[in-house]
Amino acid sequence: MKAILIDTTKCIGCRACQVACKSWNSLPGEKTAFSETWANPRYLDADNYNRIIFREVTSPDGQVQWHFISRRCMHCLTPACASACPVGALQKLLEGPVVYNDDMCIGCRYCMMACPFQIPKFEWGMAIPYIRKCTFCADRLAINQEPACASSCPTGSLLFGDRDKLLKEAHRRIGAHPGKYYPEVYGEKTGGGTSTLYLTAASFETLGLNHEGFRTDLGDYPQGMYGRAWMAKVPWVAVAVGGLCTGLYYLNKRRGEVQTQEKKEE
Amino acid sequence: MSRENKIGRGRAILIGLTALGIIVGIYRLFAGLGAATNLSDAYPWGLWVSFDILTGVALAGGGFTISAAIYIFNLKKFEPLLRPAKLSAFVGYLIFIIGLFFDLGQPWRIWHPIIMWNPQSVLFEVSWCVMLYTTVLAIDVFIWALERWQKYEWVEFFRSIYVFLIVAGIVLSTLHQSSLGALFLLLPEKMSTLWASPAIGILFFTSAIIAGMSMVIIESILSAKAYGRKPEMEIISSLGKGLGLTLVIYFAMKVTDLYARQVSVLGLDWPHVLFYVELLVCVALPALLLYVPEVRNSAKGLLWAAGLAAFGVVLNRFNVSLTSYGGYRDFWYFPSAIEIILTIGLIAQAILIFDFGMRYLPVYREMSGTAETH
Repeated sequence: MKAILIDTTKCIGCRACQVACKSWNSLPGEKTAFSETWANPRYLDADNYNRIIFREVTSPDGQVQWHFISRRCMHCLTPACASACPVGALQKLLEGPVVYNDDMCIGCRYCMMACPFQIPKFEWGMAIPYIRKCTFCADRLAINQEPACASSCPTGSLLFGDRDKLLKEAHRRIGAHPGKYYPEVYGEKTGGGTSTLYLTAASFETLGLNHEGFRTDLGDYPQGMYGRAWMAKVPWVAVAVGGLCTGLYYLNKRRGEVQTQEKKEE
Repeated sequence: MSRENKIGRGRAILIGLTALGIIVGIYRLFAGLGAATNLSDAYPWGLWVSFDILTGVALAGGGFTISAAIYIFNLKKFEPLLRPAKLSAFVGYLIFIIGLFFDLGQPWRIWHPIIMWNPQSVLFEVSWCVMLYTTVLAIDVFIWALERWQKYEWVEFFRSIYVFLIVAGIVLSTLHQSSLGALFLLLPEKMSTLWASPAIGILFFTSAIIAGMSMVIIESILSAKAYGRKPEMEIISSLGKGLGLTLVIYFAMKVTDLYARQVSVLGLDWPHVLFYVELLVCVALPALLLYVPEVRNSAKGLLWAAGLAAFGVVLNRFNVSLTSYGGYRDFWYFPSAIEIILTIGLIAQAILIFDFGMRYLPVYREMSGTAETH
């Protein structure tokens, strides 16, 4: 299982990853402006699969600290989107990517509702719309290339590799530089674990991003499992209700017949 | 103005509204969802899902509720209500499917779940149940058409598989009415805790029964008025009693759920106000009203109580899917004119089809001449 470890402390906010993503996926360029901070574009959408969120945090002693957080699909180990999709257009590949099949999608947008990280985006402007999101460059992985963003990163902030090894490396960094990192790898267990892993200088709550995609209240249980658990019960409910109804139907029918018979005999 | 004139004028208005709906529907198909609606990446689901789909299916729950009352709980006195209830259920599902057609990004792929299976997906199950249940209802309506065409040997054939249709109808309804709630099991973090409950499936199921009973009461009284018949007050008020009881059970379930999850129910913010309206004005109040015999035995009283209860279910579906959704974001959604016009068009169309069915099919037993065999 592959993953990307994003060490946000190494990121310099150059946006080379955004450019590389656009180039590889042939996404149209667009005229944009700085948003609430230096982040640009302001939101992920069908034409922007990743973006760097800029955060200025002023510490009590007046020093400004910059945080650059690359936002993209988390590629969950147990993706809620894949549990939600009625036609199975979204799938978690063994190598790590969560990919989307254009030819199956009916456009119900339940994946967008279900994703705890609010990643799938819709082509609202199209008469024939599809869901769009980061693909983990599954097409590049297939030809033994690392994702375009990772290969373009000049500082090594985006590290591509085996998930187990990256987690080990992440914990090694936390251990080797106490105080530099928030002592938790976001994505190790978040929402049942993800293939996009984050090392940050401060928690996402402190960065004010827990309500902008990086939720910290998700727990370790993948939410897609709630749907799967429900579906596991469905056949039993069907059999139980069906059996009970059939039984009672014939019981009532028989009761009616006996009543008519009794009336006749009277 | 005579009654015929009034009805004629009513029909003309409904046809006009339906036509408007068709026009904006065509625009939606060619222009895309972004141009036609106010939906966005922040609000992927809007009015069409909340009303046309979630609310529509709940309000069409009368068919299986009355059918279960008669055949499973042996309450034979409700038999006169069965066919109108099933007709309105059929119309409801038909309209729901048309609504879904416009809401889907790629409506021409609406059939995909038939061959593309994802058994992990609650929505997959809902789509199968809705497809099958609509078929069951269509067979029911078809039987009435056969009666009208006096093809009795065919009617006999369908009568022989009738038990299958009844049981299938109840099983399929139980499954998808609850599963529509279970859709929201996956996104508790995007909802207000007032509604984000692990018990949402069974709450949806119970409230669908409330919606179904309320709609049968409302339709019986209104259609009696419209077609110049006398409402069968004895049966309807008895159904009102059942509705009151179901409301009490639902209220108890809601309170238990909130208590078990330790939800803070005191507050004056927007979700809490909607919650109070939903639970107190639209569940507790109609339950109290229906407890009073004078209310239960008057058409007006029943209409009010059932109207409140039905509105409560509508509000619940909106609260679950829209008003409480994404409360933490800096985004805002209000349906576009096209979303509203299309929805109104669908309602108008539903009334027209229901009216057509009432006039051309043997919906009332005494009109049909053939008794339903059990």
